[in-house]
Amino acid sequence: MRLSIQRLTQQRVNLPGVPLALLAGLLLTGCAGDKSILDPAGQAARDVVMIWWVMLGFGTVVFVTVVALWLYAFKRKEVTRTPVQERRIARRWIIGGGIILPVASITALLAFGVPAGQRLLPLPLGEPPEVIEVIGHQWWWEVRYPDAEGGEVVTSNQLIMPAGEPVDFHVTGADVIHAFWVPRLGGKIDMIPGRVNKIRLEADEPAVFGAQCAEFCGAQHTQMQLYVEAVERDEYDAWLAARQTDELTSLAENDQQHEPAREAFMTHCASCHRVAGLSTAGEGPDLSDLGSRTSLGAGIMAMEEGAVTHWLKHHQRLKPGNKMPPHDDIETATLESLGAWLETLTP
Amino acid sequence: MTTINREVTPQGDLPENPERLHNDLHEIWGNPRGLKALTIVNHTTLGLRFMVTGMVFFLIGGLLAMLVRTQLALPDQDFMSPDIYNQVITMHGTVMMFLFAIPMLEGLAIYMIPKMIGARDLVCPRLTSLGYWCYLFGGIILTFSLVLEMAPDSGWFMYTPLSSSEYSPNLGSDFWLLGITFVEISALSAGVELVVSILRTRTQGMALHKMPLFAWYILAMALMIVVGFPPLILGSILLELERAVGMPFFEVAGGGDPILWQHLFWLFGHPEVYIIFLPAAGIVSTLIPVFAGRPIVGYGWVVFAIITTGFISFGLWVHHMFTVGIPQLAQAFFSAASMLVAVPTAIQVFVWLATLWLGKPKMKLPMLWIMGFLIIFVCGGLTGVMLALVPFNWQVHDTHFVVAHMHYVLVGGMFFPLIAGLYYWLPLFSGRMPSETLGKWGFWLTFLGFNGTFLIMHWTGLLGMPRRVYSYETGMGWDIFNLLSSMSSFVMSAGIAMVLLDFALHFRFGKPAKHNPWNADTLEWANSMPPSAYNFVSLPKIETRHPLWDDPDLPRAMAAGEHSLAVATHGRREMWGTDPLTGKVREIIHLPGNSWWPLFAAMALAVVCISLLTRLYPLAGIAVVIAALFLLRWSWENGAHPKAAPDAHVAPGDPSLHSRTMDGPGLWAMSITMLANGSFFLSYLFGWFYLWTVSPEWRMPETSPLSLVGLVVAAVALTVGGGILEKLVRGLRQQRDAGLAIGMFSISALGFVQVGVTLWVLLSANLAVTETSHDAIIMVGLAYALLHGGLGAVLTLLQGLRVGYGYVGAHAPFEPAVVAQLWRYNVVTFWIIVGALAVLPRVIGS
Repeated sequence: MRLSIQRLTQQRVNLPGVPLALLAGLLLTGCAGDKSILDPAGQAARDVVMIWWVMLGFGTVVFVTVVALWLYAFKRKEVTRTPVQERRIARRWIIGGGIILPVASITALLAFGVPAGQRLLPLPLGEPPEVIEVIGHQWWWEVRYPDAEGGEVVTSNQLIMPAGEPVDFHVTGADVIHAFWVPRLGGKIDMIPGRVNKIRLEADEPAVFGAQCAEFCGAQHTQMQLYVEAVERDEYDAWLAARQTDELTSLAENDQQHEPAREAFMTHCASCHRVAGLSTAGEGPDLSDLGSRTSLGAGIMAMEEGAVTHWLKHHQRLKPGNKMPPHDDIETATLESLGAWLETLTP
Repeated sequence: MTTINREVTPQGDLPENPERLHNDLHEIWGNPRGLKALTIVNHTTLGLRFMVTGMVFFLIGGLLAMLVRTQLALPDQDFMSPDIYNQVITMHGTVMMFLFAIPMLEGLAIYMIPKMIGARDLVCPRLTSLGYWCYLFGGIILTFSLVLEMAPDSGWFMYTPLSSSEYSPNLGSDFWLLGITFVEISALSAGVELVVSILRTRTQGMALHKMPLFAWYILAMALMIVVGFPPLILGSILLELERAVGMPFFEVAGGGDPILWQHLFWLFGHPEVYIIFLPAAGIVSTLIPVFAGRPIVGYGWVVFAIITTGFISFGLWVHHMFTVGIPQLAQAFFSAASMLVAVPTAIQVFVWLATLWLGKPKMKLPMLWIMGFLIIFVCGGLTGVMLALVPFNWQVHDTHFVVAHMHYVLVGGMFFPLIAGLYYWLPLFSGRMPSETLGKWGFWLTFLGFNGTFLIMHWTGLLGMPRRVYSYETGMGWDIFNLLSSMSSFVMSAGIAMVLLDFALHFRFGKPAKHNPWNADTLEWANSMPPSAYNFVSLPKIETRHPLWDDPDLPRAMAAGEHSLAVATHGRREMWGTDPLTGKVREIIHLPGNSWWPLFAAMALAVVCISLLTRLYPLAGIAVVIAALFLLRWSWENGAHPKAAPDAHVAPGDPSLHSRTMDGPGLWAMSITMLANGSFFLSYLFGWFYLWTVSPEWRMPETSPLSLVGLVVAAVALTVGGGILEKLVRGLRQQRDAGLAIGMFSISALGFVQVGVTLWVLLSANLAVTETSHDAIIMVGLAYALLHGGLGAVLTLLQGLRVGYGYVGAHAPFEPAVVAQLWRYNVVTFWIIVGALAVLPRVIGS
């Protein structure tokens, strides 16, 4: 929905056009966020695509044969046969096409397909894989790194994972049922309140992948998106280290010029949002490192200068029905200062 | 070859004047006009009403689909707001499934079955009428929510917790739950009476293995409705209780589990697909032999395929839930089972192929639609097998790939055969032929439009486009495919418009059809065209599977009254009651005439539905009582009642009236109803044990809060009552009715004792039904026992009164045997309730 921002802007919101046009240009060129199952970036997804092409080929042969036989039955010349011959022909068709064909196909399919499913299972490994917890909310993603060195790291609406190694995703839902799906890496798994489901994904190399809530979860199911970024292991470790609570706290407090924005945050936002060092609430997305993220509003608009302010002003038009109340009662200057400060939160 | 059964209808009774006989029969069976048309119970009229109403809902559902395709034609459209879009997709699915597909096929079956099996009506005509009114009222209530912009918006599958009061606080979910449950009364009543009609009212000589294949398919469909719908009815009741009262069946914090809803929904939802497919396949199996000009090859194979499809379809539901995180072993089982269902389907496809191969097929208009069916359905079946493979399913589940697959199966597997069937039977409905030109245009536009819409959609799904999104951004590679899909969908709707236009115009402009225009083999073509209200002047004895091929003179002879039951002087609506296996005549079934009671009962139920929606619970309570009174009043007009059959006189040599035997179809109707009830009860037990063992935050007290002594006392009272009733029925079997009335009254008293004691147990347990799912589900079990106990007690009380009025006794012994079945059921289920709710928790503990 990123472009809808631009269109909305042109149609309804008077904003300086230049940065947004730039933004649109960036979005058009980048292939980041592609969600094609047919363009796998991990072994599990690759296996499925292979299965798909084989099944398509085999299915096409069966389909064409059956339809051709039917059509031919209308065209062929009449042959007179004895009832015994007729019975024999009928039995051949029924047993050959009705029993042997499907049973053989199913056996082949299962023999071929079941091993592929194993890859997605969180089976024990020699070295326990990295665990990332993802929690679905209406309509945003909470992401936790329980294994981070120095203590758990919590963030929202961004998912960084190490490339080239298996990662176990432990997922659940905070309110309704959502589903976690990174099409280019494989599988999808439901995020169900009261349960934790596990899926193992692996990215071949560093890249950005689109992810999407795949279980209908209400008004803004459509705009519950996410960018998954696979990075090298050391980069991943550094990224986690920069998001330790102490680091984030100093980030939030470092600059005197943003004091009014911090106060506004405490008044208007802190009851729902966490910014490490200032508030601990978890109703809405964590904002502690908001400035460093690539997108806003759960993957629906690109992070750019002025983007946070734009979101704060127009979020109910950009994402109708989202749970953040409209900010009509807050002065524009306050929103702008809030936006500017939040953008500085870049570890 | 003679088809007259000389044993049961002496030749001397042959009427002199068929014209007069026709008029006499018309006098008895004919439809009233004006306001009284609302009382009609005749299957021909009601079948047509079902189909016309179904078509109207189809147009509504189709319009919603067009809105969806308009929205998705281009990226980033805001033609509809997210909120409206979600209502539209939810209602599209709901209307097409519940208000079009099932009622439409039921309507066709209601219209066709008696004609195909040589009967004059369905066996419970008033039930047909009740079913129609429940369907109409429920459908109107449900679609009215669209007008109010309060339509359900949680998806047609209504997953909790999204559909719960917390996340869907408006009335949308209530409209769905109450409206659908109301409509399901109609499906169940049609299911019950179709089963009984097919098993018990085939014309004489039509043994099971001589029955037209269509009747086999409908028998399977009807049984599947009877067993498959109750889980959803239970689920809907539980969810509505959660929404309205706060009983936490599906809420994790209260000890419930949202996955229970998914199990109950798909326990219904998967058989549902085959409930829709089987009758459509029945149309295919009926048409192909006719247009191939030869009997179907492998009749036995087809019957085998129907039965296995029916069974396997109940073991597949979990394949809708592969991403829920269920255990591996279960996934493997359901994956294999889902693929196995391809076997019976493939058998049918190759039976059809072999029939064409060995016959002389002609490509008439109906056959064109059958070809369209084949191409689309085989494609949908193949993607279905692919989807059954778990790793592939995990990728494409909830993408447009599944949307495409599902429409290939449902439109290919239901809509195309349906139109083929309607074209085939149009001359029967109206006596006129449709236009070939308009029909061909309609077919090609629909066929090409359909494939253009949905073939492409597989690809869109593989490119990662998820389902149920109201828009998408450009640059994902989805734009062009969505545009093509949307454009094709409009081509398809133009095709469908042409077909409907053809149907509408042919009633006036079609050229008159000659008799049996397709040279078909089955009995419905022995009707006059359009058919008379009583179908056949006389009922033939059937010797083969192809009565009209083997005896082309049969229609004339039947219309001339040369076969049996060609008597109208007694003023009764009559037909044969035959043996379910052999088709030997067992009794004469006399049917009730037109009646207001079904309409009144349905209206009272509509008031119940609306007052529950508007949360006017006292009014709902009053309306429930009124509906019950109407239904009981309806049941009063049975047996020897002046409006039923006060005079039991039959022609010499004929068997007696069913109400004068112990063998009436009511026994079967009660058995089949108890089968549905049993399915409901098993679903309830499933829910209880599921929550107990699987629910993440299940809390259970140390010991059962229910008084075991109280429950055992109640169970003993119920059992003793049931025992006395069995004894009375045994007496009636031997023509003894001494002490019948007093016996019935004392049984009723025992029934009320059970109700009273159970109520005491319930109240003294101090259940916190809004606190824990444990207490809530126990409450539902006891309420079920109370309702059934109360019903049994009231019905036996009425039986006592009917003995006093002389409607029941040794001369008309049949009703107590029907009530005894309910009592038997009550006794068994009550003991199971005692065991499951009160004994097991004490034995196993929490």
